[in-house]
Order: sequence, then C-alpha cells, then structure tokens
Amino acid sequence: MPPSSRIPPLLHPYIKLPKHDSITLTTSVLGASANWLLVRFICEALSAAPGRGVQNGTQDGLVENTETEGEGEDLAVVLVSWMREWEFWRGEARKGCGLDLVRLAKEGRFVFVDGLSKLYLPEMSGSSTHTPTTVPLPAQTILPVRTPGRIGPIPNRAQPSPQPQTEKAKDPGRFYLTSPDLKLLKDTIRTAISSLSSRKTLLILDSPDALLSTAASPTLTSFTLSSTLLALHDISSHILIHLSADTPLLSPSSPPLPLELDSQAFLVKVAHITERVLSCRVLDTGVARDVSGVLRCTVRDGGYFEGEGGGELEGKEMLYLVKGDGSVKVFERGAGEGH
Amino acid sequence: MAFRKRNIALSCSGAGTDPNLPSSPPSPSSAQTPPGVRPSPIDGRPTTSTGTPSLDSILAGHAGLPLGNSILIGETGTTDYAGALLRFYAAEGVVQGHTVHVVGMTEAWGRELPGLVVGREEERREKGEKMKIAWRYESMGQFVSERGSSGVKRAPLVAASETSQPGLEESTVFCHIFDLAKRLTFPVSTAINYIPIPPNPTSSPFIPILQNLQHQLSSSPHHRIHRVVIPSMLSPALYPPHSPHPHSILQFLHAFRALLRAYPTRLTALLTIPLSLYPRTSGVVRWMEILSDGVFELLPFPHNPFDPLSTSGAATRGEERPQGLFMVHKVPVWNERGGAGGGLGEDLAFTVSRRKFLVQNFSLPPIEGDREAQEGAAAAGGSGIPNKTGLEF
Repeated sequence: MPPSSRIPPLLHPYIKLPKHDSITLTTSVLGASANWLLVRFICEALSAAPGRGVQNGTQDGLVENTETEGEGEDLAVVLVSWMREWEFWRGEARKGCGLDLVRLAKEGRFVFVDGLSKLYLPEMSGSSTHTPTTVPLPAQTILPVRTPGRIGPIPNRAQPSPQPQTEKAKDPGRFYLTSPDLKLLKDTIRTAISSLSSRKTLLILDSPDALLSTAASPTLTSFTLSSTLLALHDISSHILIHLSADTPLLSPSSPPLPLELDSQAFLVKVAHITERVLSCRVLDTGVARDVSGVLRCTVRDGGYFEGEGGGELEGKEMLYLVKGDGSVKVFERGAGEGH
Repeated sequence: MAFRKRNIALSCSGAGTDPNLPSSPPSPSSAQTPPGVRPSPIDGRPTTSTGTPSLDSILAGHAGLPLGNSILIGETGTTDYAGALLRFYAAEGVVQGHTVHVVGMTEAWGRELPGLVVGREEERREKGEKMKIAWRYESMGQFVSERGSSGVKRAPLVAASETSQPGLEESTVFCHIFDLAKRLTFPVSTAINYIPIPPNPTSSPFIPILQNLQHQLSSSPHHRIHRVVIPSMLSPALYPPHSPHPHSILQFLHAFRALLRAYPTRLTALLTIPLSLYPRTSGVVRWMEILSDGVFELLPFPHNPFDPLSTSGAATRGEERPQGLFMVHKVPVWNERGGAGGGLGEDLAFTVSRRKFLVQNFSLPPIEGDREAQEGAAAAGGSGIPNKTGLEF
C-alpha cells in the first residue's frame, strides 16, 4: 500500500506541498495536539518517492511542470523537535503512515534534530557512556563524489563545520541541540540540510516557542526567533512550524508577563508570514467519543494553493478523529458516524 | 543475562511485599518485568500503578501510568486532596520495591504514608463488594475488571492464567489497597530519597534536584523502577521566591521531561501545583501543563455541613458524596498522539475516604425537594392531583 493513501482525502489538498517555497503554520492547544498532522506532513513529503510524478499525473489529469523535470524533485525532511523525542516520532510515523524513518535517515532523506534530550539536561559528569565526539562520519565526504550533477551543496558538505556539537557517530541522521542559542540552531540545521541527498527540503520546527518560554537569555525574543526563521527559509524551501495557541498564551493576563507577550507576538508574526494555517482545537461543545477535535484550515488568497478541481483552494473547517491504531479520519461536520 | 535475572529475584525478596513470605519462587512474570509493572493492554508498553485504581483506569485504557511519563495535578483551594494521591502513589512505590524520590519534603512526610490493608475480614468484605462490580464487566476481560479492583485477585480469568499458589498471587499484585488512617511499615532495605530544595536565593533551586535525580538513576541497577514525587510545586512555603520565573521552572520541567524520556522504562513522576496561587490562565502554568504528559485538576466543592449543595453530588442516597470535581485536561500517551482531550467525555468527581481515592462519573441527582413535594401532594389526597381512578372515563 502506498503510504500516501494513509492521508485522508479531505485533508490532502491542505497538506500537499506547493510548487513554490512556502511556510506553513500548525497550531495546537492543550487537549488537541497537532502531532498527528505533523506526521501526515512528513508522510506527504517522504512518500513522494521517485514514482510520484506518475501518481499525481493520474490523479488530477493536469501535468505539473516541476514533475516533468525528473526524479530529482524528491523532498527530504529535517525535523527539529523541542518537545518530543526520536522514539515518539519514529513510532508515530510507522503506525500512522507506515514510514520507516530509520531507513529513510540512512538513505539521507530524513534528519532528526533533537532539541529535547540535551537542551537543558546537564550532562552526567561521572558517566563514561558519552564518549567525546569522534570525527564526523567519513561517509559524508564520500557521498557527494558518487552523485554527480549536484554541484550546489557540495562545498557545504565538504567542510563539516565543527562548531555544532553533534554526535552522529552512532546513528546517522541524528543531531542534538545542546543550548538554546539561536546561532547554534542555525548552524545545526544548516549542517543537517547539507547532509541530505535532496535539493528541496521540508524543515519542520516542532514547538520553537518552547525556546521562547524557557530561555533566560535576553537576546532570545520573538524578534530574534522570527528573524532566525526567515534566515532558515533561505536554506530550506518549505518550512512547517508547530506552535501552541492556548488562550493563556494569546491573551495576556492583567499585568502581562514577558512570557505571554513574547509568545503572543511570535505567534501572530508567524501567522502573518505564513501562507496557510492549520489549527487544531478541542471541540467547542465538549468531549465526544467520535471526534478528537476540530481542524481549521486557512489559506492565503491569490491562488497560492490549488484545490481539487484545479480551482483555488478555500479555507475549511473539518472534524478529525485519531483512532487507537494511529489512523486518522477527517470528515465534514455531521458526517462522522456510520462510515 | 542469567546474572541479571538472579538480581531481580533478589531485589524482589529483599524489598518484598510481605516479610512473612519465604523467598518467593521466580514467577514467569516477575522474571521478565520488575515488580509492579505490567504491559499496557493497548500497546504493550510497560505501565505501573499510581496506587489509586480508579486513577489508573482513566489513563486512556492503559490501566496504569505508562513508564517514562509524568502527571501534573492542580488543585484549587486550601485542601490537600492531591496530597492523598501523592501518598498513595509513593506508598505503592514503597510496597512494590521501587525507589521513591520526594522533592522538598522531610522524613515526616514519609512517615505519614498510608499503611497496607491486611486484615482478612476487611479484605474479604472488600472482595465481596468488588465482586458485584466485577460481575458487570466480567465479559470485558481481565483489565477492565481489574479497574474497580485493588488488592486481591478475583477475576477467574486472572486466577486461571496465574498459577494457583497463594504466595505467588500475592506477589503479582499490581495495585494495593492503602488505609490513610494507618501508617506504612517500611520493608527493610527501602529508603525514600528526600531531595531538599536548596534555599539559595540567587541560583535556580532545580539544578541540584535534577543532578540528584540523574545521579540516583544512573547509579541504580537497570531494572530498578523510580518514582518521583514533587508535592506543591512552586509553593512559596517550600521554594525560593524566584523559582516561579519561567526560565527557572520551565527549564527544569523541560529537562525533567528529557530525563523521563531518557529512562522510558524506569521512571514515572507525579507533581502537584496549587492552582490558587498559580492560576491556569497564566502562561507559565500553561507551559507547565504542556511540558507534562498528563494534566488533571481537582476542584473541591465548598464544604458546609448545612449547605444542601454539598449533599447534592451523590446520585443516590446510598453513595458517598463526592468531594469535588475531577477534570481531565490531558492524558499521557493518548493526547500526545492526537486523541481527544478528556478521553472519556464524562464529568468526573472524586471521593476521598479512608481507604480509597475514587474517581467516578458525576451526575446531578434528581432534586430532592421534589420528592417531598410529591409525597406531600399524595398525602393531601386526590384533591390536588387527579389519581388514576379519576382519570378513567
């Protein structure tokens, strides 16, 4: 079964990556997490295997220009997560989409940047398990030689910058953020992208607002974070950002706290930069057994996104249900039961 | 490998549940999993009991707290119902031979842990009572029937799957019954690790706590289960004044989350926070909730013996009246994957009695005044309300 069939048809036009570069925002609230949506984005990007052109051509009769260029168009994914660990994403991608992220990482199509496990947790001083970083993989330098025709990224790969403290001796495609410093973040992502084998990348930032709320540094504000985001857009064609949009974070309390002001400012700023917003929230009328939450999709006007019939995609509100086995059903209001 | 297994058996008998027991033969289950841990019926991940059966049962069907996860319990008002949950959780850990870490409390807290219920008569009575509940769910299988249960194995399914040795049965209990009015007698070789909060006015109090936990985890054997109890987080009575700053507490919780994930088969945690001091509408508390895996809220009813409101919670007269509402905002694992918030979709209320912390469905009773009015009307004769004969024509 092709993995793309795991994506609900109603949702598909909204998570399809456009031909041009794009920034997408997904938001979640406490009771309705958007992790399943992020997994669907990974699935959509990575299941576009070399046979993708054929698939899409048969689906919606029009031939897209980019796909005639050949198989070089395949995407790679860089997932930066400040809230969730590698095991979680690996399990979810396998259950929800049938993707083997370990294999994809070995193939150079997926990189995970871990912003959770070593960000604030102090290194154990006595333990000898963490051997100091060895020389970066020699395979990295060999790889570009074997793939001629891609001239652009080679200089980047040739000089593995030493300053991002990445331990990739053990598993390929894994990087660690060791401090909330934005420069380190930029460098790590740059190294991660240059280690990939594809020209186009989808960069997923899971909860960068965690940085904003936890960092004590005065230089880390919504300003610097959003400018970092735009700088990252230069090196990555698609960016997907996942932020929390809970009410306490959006409507500051009466003496407004810096934390609340910062997260509000950042969220609003990002929402204005992006071309589409997919927000998950809990059902307004209470908890139901057959509905997990409401998904609101908003896209920018002006023909940025193509709908099903070739027309312009319009915003829509749908309900979704995440089942125990990891599958997701997306349906219109009132169409939930009996299917 | 063989050496490891022998170790498990040793620790089993060393910190055993019952000192009267002879060194128990290694049962198949305890040889594979540490005591007090069983696989989740949903996806097989290891879970451990919170010490409160009804709390276990609302954790999205895992019938226990999945290891590597934390629960944050907020409570409004000046009551300490959440403290009862913490004590059951810690006592369960002590009885199962887990290592219990308590942050910010002294040994006096540990001495007040509830004791095990051992009386045979009481057990039997409890058993009979539970049996009635269990019958209803018998067809639903082992785990559902264990929900309403506690100390004793009663479902025939379970008894059939285990061997019939009484001693063995005792050793595989997942969740014990505790009595808040008794005091727990500590098994030999168990000690609670009390982690003090450093009163340093300048640096973050949480860094030494983390280092202590990390050290304990890395220096203990690989099969040892750890439980972390953090009562009344950020309470000014315990913590220095700058600890509620976002970079202090949120950095700690972020690192703590990383620690939980680094030991996905050995560590669980239960945290409480006074919501009257730190309301849920503030950004810091919301981030604390985002960084925790499960979020529950206790809303005690105002207590007034003359107030009819306090009696109205019980659906029938036979039931104990609940002491407050129990709100489920987030459930471990299930919410992380995108499942619905409340999980159950029902209003829940909690009842604390000597022996249990019960979380059950909450429904408003029929208005009791009405029945009196009806009775009064019936007593007044057929004048007011036409009776059956009067209606016939």
